Amino acid sequence: MTVDLRSGAHLPKLRPGSQPPPPDWLPRQRRGTTPQMIGRYPDHDVFDAIDTWDEATKKVVLARLEPPGPLRFFSAAEEPALRAFCDTALAQETEPRIPVAETVDAKLADGRLDGYQYAGMPDDRDAWRLVLRGLDHTARQAYRCSFAECDTRRRENIVREFAHGRLVGGPWDELNVPRAWSVVMRAVLSAFYSHPWAWNEIGFGGPAYPRGFLRLGGPGYEGPGVREPFEKPGAVNVDPVREG
Amino acid sequence: MGTFWRGLLKGSVTPRDNDSRFLLDVHSRDLPGEATMRRYADDDEVDLVIVGAGAGGSVLAQRLARRGWRIVILEAGPFWHPDEDWVSDEAGSHHLYWTQKRIIGGTDPIELGKNNSGRGVGGSMIHYAGYTPRFHPSDFSTHSDDGVGADWPLRYEELLGHYERVELELPVAGQDWPWGHPHRYPFSPHPVTGAALRLVEGAHRCGIEMRVGPVGIVNGTFGNRPHCIYRGYCLQGCKVNAKASPYVTHLPDALAHGVEVRANCMALRVDIDDATGAARGVVYAREGEGGRTLQRAAAVAVAGYSIETPRLLLASTSRRHPRGLGNAEDQVGRYVMVQGASQTAGRWPDELRMYKAPPPEISSEQFYETDPGRGFARGFSIQTVSPMPIGWSEHVLADGHWGRALREYMRDYNHWATIGVLNELLPHPENRVTLADETDPYGQPVARMDYTLTDNDKTNMAYSTKVITDILRAADAQDVLIIQRFAHLIGGARMGRAPEHSVTDADHRIWGVPNVFVADGSVCPTQGAANPALTIMALASRLAERMAGGDPVEHYRAVRARRIPISTRSRR
Ligand SMILES: Cc1cc2nc3c(=O)[nH]c(=O)nc-3n(C[C@H](O)[C@H](O)[C@H](O)COP(=O)(O)OP(=O)(O)OC[C@H]3O[C@@H](n4cnc5c(N)ncnc54)[C@H](O)[C@@H]3O)c2cc1C
Ligand code: SF4
Repeated sequence: MTVDLRSGAHLPKLRPGSQPPPPDWLPRQRRGTTPQMIGRYPDHDVFDAIDTWDEATKKVVLARLEPPGPLRFFSAAEEPALRAFCDTALAQETEPRIPVAETVDAKLADGRLDGYQYAGMPDDRDAWRLVLRGLDHTARQAYRCSFAECDTRRRENIVREFAHGRLVGGPWDELNVPRAWSVVMRAVLSAFYSHPWAWNEIGFGGPAYPRGFLRLGGPGYEGPGVREPFEKPGAVNVDPVREG
Repeated sequence: MGTFWRGLLKGSVTPRDNDSRFLLDVHSRDLPGEATMRRYADDDEVDLVIVGAGAGGSVLAQRLARRGWRIVILEAGPFWHPDEDWVSDEAGSHHLYWTQKRIIGGTDPIELGKNNSGRGVGGSMIHYAGYTPRFHPSDFSTHSDDGVGADWPLRYEELLGHYERVELELPVAGQDWPWGHPHRYPFSPHPVTGAALRLVEGAHRCGIEMRVGPVGIVNGTFGNRPHCIYRGYCLQGCKVNAKASPYVTHLPDALAHGVEVRANCMALRVDIDDATGAARGVVYAREGEGGRTLQRAAAVAVAGYSIETPRLLLASTSRRHPRGLGNAEDQVGRYVMVQGASQTAGRWPDELRMYKAPPPEISSEQFYETDPGRGFARGFSIQTVSPMPIGWSEHVLADGHWGRALREYMRDYNHWATIGVLNELLPHPENRVTLADETDPYGQPVARMDYTLTDNDKTNMAYSTKVITDILRAADAQDVLIIQRFAHLIGGARMGRAPEHSVTDADHRIWGVPNVFVADGSVCPTQGAANPALTIMALASRLAERMAGGDPVEHYRAVRARRIPISTRSRR
């Protein structure tokens, strides 16, 4: 499939069923790493600019590339459901993966919580444990296997119900399900989109101190003045045979 | 000086009695004077102890220090060293926020933490966005005029001089302002991004006027503070010193005038002398140490913001105040407010890269006041915002996307621009901060905040969300994603004309307690549809003038003579 980036035809809400096209239209990453090696900016690697970052930022961002784990907060019994959930919620089915499970685990192990807890909900740490048990509970009821043993489609079915706050029974009855969704997704998204590989995938410029930006993109929408010299334009995976 | 001259002399009029901008170092972001800072002994009765080194507390300290007051600020969070402590990174800025536990309840619980509360020297403005609008004159009398909200015990005119003074100190950059009380700004508007221009185009097609600013961000240079570098990380703490926060605008001058900022010190109780009914000082704990210490003081100003100020007052029980300080009428913690802050994002064919430039760029206050045709009281303002990747992912999630759909929208990040609203949500007595059963590591009960929207609030939010969605459509956005959210705390210890309905009088003094004041955003009876920081600073500036009694020399003598340093007359 080829996609005209300007048209927005790839955007889920503009497509039937609100689902994106299969990712085969995306170019393979040529510079640096992206999750699953796909992205919209095949020649963009935030680390190309690392010599323009300040020391404190460099330290924080580079630490995210350290080999992840081992898990400190979640038990070995919880690990499969944790990984399966993080993979499904972020559509990370193949390597290279951003180590979301390990980042979430570290945050909970260190008690770096977000500063609020819904009345009637357990502490975020307990909420996570209940959610993982809940996913297994639902999977057993619906598919007679654990959540991690389900195939992608079945896991997506369960997560879809979770996102809609419709899961009931077992551990779910101890939770306000829509709020539990918000608690776990907050952590999962922050783990994924704080990772420089995700910045490569989406074409985000990354840290920008002390260099800053000169070209703010306006007025005049196109032309050389709009883009910084170090910014690479978006691209698609043009297949010359099918194109022709 | 009139606003006309201020506008004309842009950039060349500077504050007279605040040297912070010159005291800052060009080569280092540290707060100058930390090493040589004056230090007081706990049993040394200082003139004033302030709880919280944020927007309100810092301005109060700077003003009164210049009048010779001996002041200690107790700050729960750290003393920042921005070059090392702050990063150009979203997740890495987690430590700037108040992340100690709080319980949120009610029908519409408000998410706290990074959304609205800071912790550390400089307070929440360290990571605020930078919008610095004034309140409108109508904000001070919504009850008389529209039958909703509350009347302030003071008028806009009483704050005007302080608004102007603080605008010079930040300094505020923006176009001439046509709304509320029309005025001009001391610095020219910043250039705007292609993303924001799309939004302005849409607004114009809808007949909505938008103006650039107002932001507390240096445009040009200001003493030793450099021009903004448009890197866009304002919500992560400005490593450039371009964005205003008390850390660069008031604390350098305060330290130079003998203020001690005692960081990592959590105030636990305002200590009341049961014999006299006056405060003796504040009991605090130093982080990582077991003991409790009383810092003695002739007067106390609480400036911990809308959750922590009520929490501290409620925890300050004594024989005279068994239900908490200032809580004889069961008013502490009530009428706490937030603003509705829905955001809509639009998609365009070109790459816009909204992460560049400060998130606050362009705003409109055209819908600020009541318009009977809209079907609800009071109104909202419109402001551009621009989330970084994690913020953007929360936006996409809120529109109902996860998994492959979320990744697809995220990959499209550079094609989007975002616009938001600030709804005036009305004060309600049941929206309240109370003490929860749980305690923090100091043994202090944690705060619980209950929040429930009223019908007026919901109608306002729905109407305004439609307005900003229409703006995107009018600008030919190809797709739209919406997130409903809230921002900006205010109230919780409001000022008023009578103790039955408020916690403090018009001079911020807690009813029935001669020497305890509230000096932060919690005193505001309403919050309009404007971001609150400038108003909090202007209120603290006015409070300083009231506390000093107007005559610095006379005051200084009074302080030396250890009389309580407050003029008790109301001079309205
Ligand atoms: C992400 C974000 C964006 C924002 N954007 C804007 C904006 O664009 N424009 C705007 O006007 N406003 C904005 N705000 C809000 C603005 O920052 C606050 O309204 C303002 O800083 C509040 O001032 P304050 O003095 O009341 O409290 P703060 O500035 O929060 O200061 C309170 C201080 O007291 C300390 N403290 C609390 N309790 C204790 C205790 N018991 N002992 C010791 N210390 C204590 C805290 O650590 C804190 O440092 C934003 C806020 C956030 C979080
Ligand atoms: S964009 Fe400007 S004001 Fe904001 S953090 Fe960067 S330099 Fe500071």
